[in-house]
Amino acid sequence: MAEEVRAEMVANVWKVVVGVGDSVSAGDALVILDSMKMEIPVISEDGGTVARIAVQEGDVVQDGDLIAVVEPVAG
Amino acid sequence: MAEVAASGERVRVTVPEQDVRSPYRRLSHLFDPGSFSPYQVSPGSRVVTGHGLIDGEVTVAFCTDATRMGGALGAEGAAEIVGAIDEALRLGRPVVGLWHSGGASLGEGVQSLDGIGRIFAAMIHASGRIPQISVVLGPAAGGAAYGPALTDVVILAPSGRVFVTGPDVVRSVTGEQIDMAGLGGADAHGRRSGVVHVVADSEGDALARARRITTLLAGGGARPDAGRLAAHDPDEDRRPDPGSLLPDRPRRAYDVRPLVLRLLDEGRHPFEEFQARWAPNAVVGLGRLYGRPVGVIANNPIRKGGCLDSLSAEKISRFVRMCDSFGLPLVVVVDVPGYLPGVQQEWEGVVRRGAKLLYAFAEATVPRVTLVTRKSFGGAYIAMNSRSLGATAVLAWPEAQVAVMGAEAAVGILHRRPLAAASDDERPALLNRLVEEHTRTAGGIDRGLALGVIDAVIDPADSRRRIAEALATAPARRGSHGNIPL
Repeated sequence: MAEEVRAEMVANVWKVVVGVGDSVSAGDALVILDSMKMEIPVISEDGGTVARIAVQEGDVVQDGDLIAVVEPVAG
Repeated sequence: MAEVAASGERVRVTVPEQDVRSPYRRLSHLFDPGSFSPYQVSPGSRVVTGHGLIDGEVTVAFCTDATRMGGALGAEGAAEIVGAIDEALRLGRPVVGLWHSGGASLGEGVQSLDGIGRIFAAMIHASGRIPQISVVLGPAAGGAAYGPALTDVVILAPSGRVFVTGPDVVRSVTGEQIDMAGLGGADAHGRRSGVVHVVADSEGDALARARRITTLLAGGGARPDAGRLAAHDPDEDRRPDPGSLLPDRPRRAYDVRPLVLRLLDEGRHPFEEFQARWAPNAVVGLGRLYGRPVGVIANNPIRKGGCLDSLSAEKISRFVRMCDSFGLPLVVVVDVPGYLPGVQQEWEGVVRRGAKLLYAFAEATVPRVTLVTRKSFGGAYIAMNSRSLGATAVLAWPEAQVAVMGAEAAVGILHRRPLAAASDDERPALLNRLVEEHTRTAGGIDRGLALGVIDAVIDPADSRRRIAEALATAPARRGSHGNIPL
């Protein structure tokens, strides 16, 4: 099942560090948020191929908003 | 084979003919080889109890017999479990429960419900006096779900499922379609509910973790040899400077777990983390410091910036109270920007749940040392085992900040008008000057030292020794309270 990576807190999208089609490992940062005076990486828990990035730099995301979709690597 | 949960639902529990699920086999795998000695139990009870050795120390255990009627619990079986818990209490030793049971035996009706209620009462009576560890190896439905939930630690094997009412009842009542794994498996309880403390990779791993956690929980209160603490720790020079595990940029988030490992003794299994994927902005778990079992609590900046929130406050509260019950000293690693703001947080009771955290720390009588690595702000500063709540010692790394809020944010509020009046060219310089001034008078470590809310600024390289020394100066005490599943 595809991993839907969602925001855990209200934040600004500071940097998008991966692109669609990139392969990522578990724990890799997809996007870096800016909130509470902190730069907070949003990480893929399972790893795979980035299928979708749902935010742009400068967006404001709310708790639970979709940030990216990561497809698991087949097999 | 089919059996019936307390809800009246049929929960299918299949047992292969070759009995990997034999309770004797399971219990013998839990204990040191050849050390299991079963108690006399009545043949119809569908429960096996006994004691054996874990790492050479006597431990009591019971296991429901999944090979017979799916391990359904009747009055007899329940009485055997109560007997095992009472025996453990008499010996002052831990008790491990291995669960694989569809719940109350329907054939016995209310008699089996009464029996299961007696198990609950026995567990609650023993709570906080002896460590109680549960390993869920198969379905644990209805009454069998609440048994583990009342104990200190719940370990889930891959086939383990915990739920009050199974998929059939859920479907008929709510229309929700879900299978047993989705309803009560590793993702459900490891990540969503927080019911399970440890998600194991296999049944063997589940039993191995139960052994390690039992040993750590039962080792509380053991005082290290003072001479050993003072001695030079040769391994220390070989390991990296703990300070090097923080990112260069002070605003940057990082995973705190490598730092936690660095502060603990090395070993094959140096850290038994609890509830790793639930409320992950706080890390809690057991390890050793100079050989002595300790509980570690750390903010994890990589999740939610390390903010405290309602769930992480509850997670830490229960852990603190468990460690206090068993005399395990606490090491609190603080890097917290504050409590997470938000409507949802307020409405889900961050005040009520955050209050538990204040209560848990202030109530704790075990030695408890706080290390502020980077920052500690606002209400979260108080909550993370501050001096005001009775910390044994509060240590800080040289760059740490302790304040109501970050200096820049504070200056923005305190000096809003002059900052607004300044021209765009002047504003950055004014801001810098005000931040410096504010840090000097209100936010810096020097102020914390002067007030006595920080005892010492330490070299990060000395962290292990300084924490261990501070823990050793306090008398070994333990709380006299139960471990309510907060």
